[in-house]
Amino acid sequence: MLIELEAITKIYNQGQANEVQALTDVSLRVATGSMLCLRGASGSGKSTLLGIIGCVFPPTSGRAAIAGKQLARLPDRFLTLHRRETIGFIFQRFNLLPSLTVLDNITLPLLPMGVGPRERKLRAQALLAQFDIQHREKFPAGQISGGELQRVAIARALIHDPPIILADEPTAHLDSRLSREFMAIMDRLKASGKTIVLASHDPLVTDHPGLDQIMDIRDGRLHVP
Amino acid sequence: MTTPMLERQINFLDYTLSSLWRKRYKNIAVVLVFAAVIFLLASFQLVSNGLLERAQTALVMAPEILIQKMVAGRQESIPVAYAERLQGIFGIRQVTPRVWGYYFDEVTLANYTVIGRDQVAGGSDDQLTQVLADGRLPAAVGETVLGQAVFRTKGLQDQRVFSLFRPDLSLKTLTITGLFKKESNLLTDDLIVLSLADSRDLFGLPPGLASDLMVSVANPREIGTVAKKIAAALPGTRVLTRPQIEKTYHMIFGWRSGFASVCLLAALAAFFILSWDKASGLAPEERREIAILKILGWQTADVLLVRFFEGAVVSGGAYLLGCTAAYIHVVFFGSSLFLPVLAGWSVIRPDLHLVPAIHLADLLLLFCFTVMPYLAATVVPAWRCASLPSATALQGG
Ligand SMILES: Nc1ncnc2c1ncn2[C@@H]1O[C@H](COP(=O)(O)OP(=O)(O)OP(=O)(O)O)[C@@H](O)[C@H]1O
Ligand SMILES: [Mg+2]
Repeated sequence: MLIELEAITKIYNQGQANEVQALTDVSLRVATGSMLCLRGASGSGKSTLLGIIGCVFPPTSGRAAIAGKQLARLPDRFLTLHRRETIGFIFQRFNLLPSLTVLDNITLPLLPMGVGPRERKLRAQALLAQFDIQHREKFPAGQISGGELQRVAIARALIHDPPIILADEPTAHLDSRLSREFMAIMDRLKASGKTIVLASHDPLVTDHPGLDQIMDIRDGRLHVP
Repeated sequence: MTTPMLERQINFLDYTLSSLWRKRYKNIAVVLVFAAVIFLLASFQLVSNGLLERAQTALVMAPEILIQKMVAGRQESIPVAYAERLQGIFGIRQVTPRVWGYYFDEVTLANYTVIGRDQVAGGSDDQLTQVLADGRLPAAVGETVLGQAVFRTKGLQDQRVFSLFRPDLSLKTLTITGLFKKESNLLTDDLIVLSLADSRDLFGLPPGLASDLMVSVANPREIGTVAKKIAAALPGTRVLTRPQIEKTYHMIFGWRSGFASVCLLAALAAFFILSWDKASGLAPEERREIAILKILGWQTADVLLVRFFEGAVVSGGAYLLGCTAAYIHVVFFGSSLFLPVLAGWSVIRPDLHLVPAIHLADLLLLFCFTVMPYLAATVVPAWRCASLPSATALQGG
């Protein structure tokens, strides 16, 4: 199992007036090379769960093992190191830096890994070619179309070749043609051996035939449909 | 797990430079404003150090007691015969007349300082002898010793003889018997030392007159008492003691530089407010950038390193630029911006031209007051933002 969660809870601002219990008793196992979808309404806790799987923050309680590493009580520094090696993120609004070029955006995760400029460029160009956007290499990310943005965001998630790809509402800002295209790319990634976790309430995602597993999340609790 | 350290640093530096380049107009403006502040501070420091050095060298040449004749509140030539009226005062070791003045050389357009005195055993010649490079002080009429600047500007190579103009434009020829050291104090650089008779001849001063009388005392602790007795014995004179001269220098210096400091402090304060404004809130795009970098696997320290590089390039560049401009201003443009503020000095030395005195301690002080706060203003707010968990990037954006 690449992802193993057991009795996870996550409480934001614990002990303060604005305390929020975002996850309650979540247990989940995802096998290597499979594709899981978390389905839930806004505020149900999807992003929070992806944050824990993605080693962004540790759970408040429970056991989480991601790619063989126990996350609970891991200091931020080590969470970051582990995230850098194992996770590729695709965000709802893509989270690209608009003033940076497409190439510079894609290679951002490689800078703290000490990958030199030539190697960075080679890797980025290979991915750009794979997604048919070589001609946008030197464009500022703020000046390309939505469909191109989406592919740049995917390329950035793949640049350091992580075993796990997480996508938080990836189709929320795409039309149905681009959404289908996105799912087709996910199928290809799954076929190449990546483990994929999607969070969405878009039927184009939740009804996708390539999913191995789908789970409902309501008020921070997981339900198997 | 090992990541190559050097490559990481290079990557971050690379990232810093290209993000500085993307906002180049804004950054160049910041560097220019910052450099202007540093320029003001550094030139002021250079000028005031130069002045202080001048004051100190002038003091080295100052006698223990100086007697000047005052007429209607102005200094006039003093009869040498006044010395006889001091004979009864106990504690005076020696009274030596001195002529001094400025000689403007029409040919080289340079101002020289001329001192005429006679060699007296145990007199003030001791100080001059110490800064002599070679030769001996003038012992007879027609002999002279020159400072290096005079020697250079007059273009004297192997010549042992040179001439100056009397007020009636007739030529006065002198034989060089020695030169002052190059590295000796700045005051001797433009100095021409002559015998008393020669200096009177040069300035057209009647015999029996001098510019002032120098008094040396047997016991330095008695300077004050001896000076009082002299003042009583010679009404119509001004009696200056070395401690008084020292105090005057410091007072003028203190007042002038105090005023200038206030102005500079105002400039510095304005700059601080500017950088604090920058510090107090990161722009939303900056917060977003930090959140994205962190979630993509950048450590807090990596984000801070980039901010540090950014601040270091901007403030370090401004510092170098400002200090270099200040040096050029003082050396090549005679600190023309500052001398009016410090004009009190021209009373003491109308020919004031400064060789900047660079003190490492002052440069460091300036560094601490400008570069350090700027660095703090760039790094600290980023540190507050970057050390928060990177969850914000998860929330849609
Ligand atoms: N950083 C935070 N601090 C405090 N509360 C938070 C934080 N992030 C999320 N929450 C709260 O936790 C709960 C779950 O939020 P989460 O973002 O995980 O839901 P979501 O399913 O992703 O919603 P959406 O569809 O709107 O993205 C919500 O009530 C939210 O207000
Ligand atoms: Mg969400």
